[in-house]
Amino acid sequence: MRNLLNFIIRYGRWFVFAFYITISCLLLVSNNSYQQSIFLTSANLVSNSVYTGASEVTGYFHLKAINESLQASNAILENEVLNLRHQIDEYKTILADSIELPPVAKRFDYVQATVINNSVRHPRNYFSINRGAKDGVKVGMGVVDQNGIVGIVNVTGDRTSRVISILNETQHFSVRLKDTNFIGSLSWRGGDPSIAYMEQVPRHARYQAGDTIVTSGYSTTFPADIPVGVVMNRIHGSDDNFFILKVRLNSDFRALSTVRVIKDEYKSELDSLQSFDFSPTK
Amino acid sequence: MNKDIFQFAVLFLVMVLVQVLICNHIAIFDVAMPIVFIYFIIRLPISLGLSIVFTLSFLLGLVVDIFSDTPGVNALACTLVASLRRPIYYAYVPRDDKTKDLIPSISSLGLGVYGKYLISLVSIYCFLAFSIEYFNFADVEEVVLLAVSSSVLTFISLLAFDCLIISKK
Repeated sequence: MRNLLNFIIRYGRWFVFAFYITISCLLLVSNNSYQQSIFLTSANLVSNSVYTGASEVTGYFHLKAINESLQASNAILENEVLNLRHQIDEYKTILADSIELPPVAKRFDYVQATVINNSVRHPRNYFSINRGAKDGVKVGMGVVDQNGIVGIVNVTGDRTSRVISILNETQHFSVRLKDTNFIGSLSWRGGDPSIAYMEQVPRHARYQAGDTIVTSGYSTTFPADIPVGVVMNRIHGSDDNFFILKVRLNSDFRALSTVRVIKDEYKSELDSLQSFDFSPTK
Repeated sequence: MNKDIFQFAVLFLVMVLVQVLICNHIAIFDVAMPIVFIYFIIRLPISLGLSIVFTLSFLLGLVVDIFSDTPGVNALACTLVASLRRPIYYAYVPRDDKTKDLIPSISSLGLGVYGKYLISLVSIYCFLAFSIEYFNFADVEEVVLLAVSSSVLTFISLLAFDCLIISKK
C-alpha cells in the first residue's frame, strides 16, 4: 500500500497529464455528435457576451458590400413582384369574374439574426448568431442570408445559437440543378471558402457552366429553390455512374452579417408523417 | 509572488482575448495564422510544478477551444506542449542553479537562446494543432504548409510582442 502511495505521489503529475490528455481526446471524438453541451460551444453565455461586444465594432466592416448585395437581391425581388402583379392583372382582364382563391396557410417564417462570430479557416467551421431558443430558434432550422443558404442551427442557448456553416466538412445539403430534377448532395472540402462540391449527380444530367444550384426542398430545413451557388466545372468522381460538380457559393462567408433563420410551420407535421410506421395492423 | 500570479492571470486573459477576437480572424495568404495564445505557456516560470503547468495549459487550450468551436484540438496540443517545455528549455540552457528559477524571456536568456526556445515550442505546437485538427493523412501537404507558415508568423508576432513588453518597462 505504501509503495502504491509512493508511486502515485512520485508520478502524480503524469497522472494529471494523462487525465487531461484523456479529456481532450474525449472532446475531440465527441466533436461530431449533433447535440453538444452548450457550455463547450461558442454559443455559451461568456463567449457570447465577448463576441457580442466585439461585433458592435466589427459589425460595421463589410457594410458597403452587404448593402450592394442587398440592393441587388431587392431589385430581383421587386422585378418579380411587378411581373407577378402584371400577370395577375392580365389574367383579370381575360377572366373578368375569376373565383376568389382560398387563402393558403403560410408555411415559412423568418427570424432575423446577426452573426456575432464567424470562422472560415477550420475544416469544421461554425458561426454564432444572436438569436436563441427564446426567439423561437430550434436545432435543425436552416439559415440563409441575402445571397443564399449559409448553414443549419446546431446548438441553441436562450439568446444565442451556434450554426453549422456550409463550410463544414461533416455537413451535407440536399441541392438541385435549377429547372431540372437532378438532385445532388452539396459539401465543402476545406480550403477556399467560396468553393463547394455537388456530389452524386447522375451521369446523364445535363448542365452548363454558370447554371444555378438551388435547394431541393426535400427536407424541412430549407424551402425549395433558394439559391446556393453556380456550377463551375465537372470533376470525375470515383464512381462511374455519378459525377461531381464544382460549385461557386453565392454567399460570401468571410463577410456574413445579417442572416435569417427559417421556421417551417409544417415541420412537426411532416416529421411525424415521415416517422409514421406502416406496419400492417392485425 | 502574488504580484506574479496576478500578472500571469492578466496575461492569460489578454492572450485568450487577443487570440479569439483578433488572431482567429487572420489568415495571411489563407495559410499563415498567428497562434499567439501559447505565449502564456512559453512564459510560465521553468521551476513551476508540472501539475500546475499541465492544468494551466489544458485550461488555456480548453478556453480557446470553446471560443473557436474546435473542441479538444487546442486543449490536447497545449497539454502536450506543456510536457515538452522543460526538456526543450534544457536543450538550449545548461542545467544549473542560475537557470532554474528563470521566467523565459529575451532579457533573461538573451535573444539567441530565447529565440531558439520560442521557435521550437511554436513550431511543435503548430504541427501538433494542425495535425490534430485535420487528422487525415490525405491532407499531409496542407498540414505541413499551414504549420510551417503559421509557425513563422507566430514566431515573428511573439518576438514583436516581447519587444513591446520590454520597451514598456
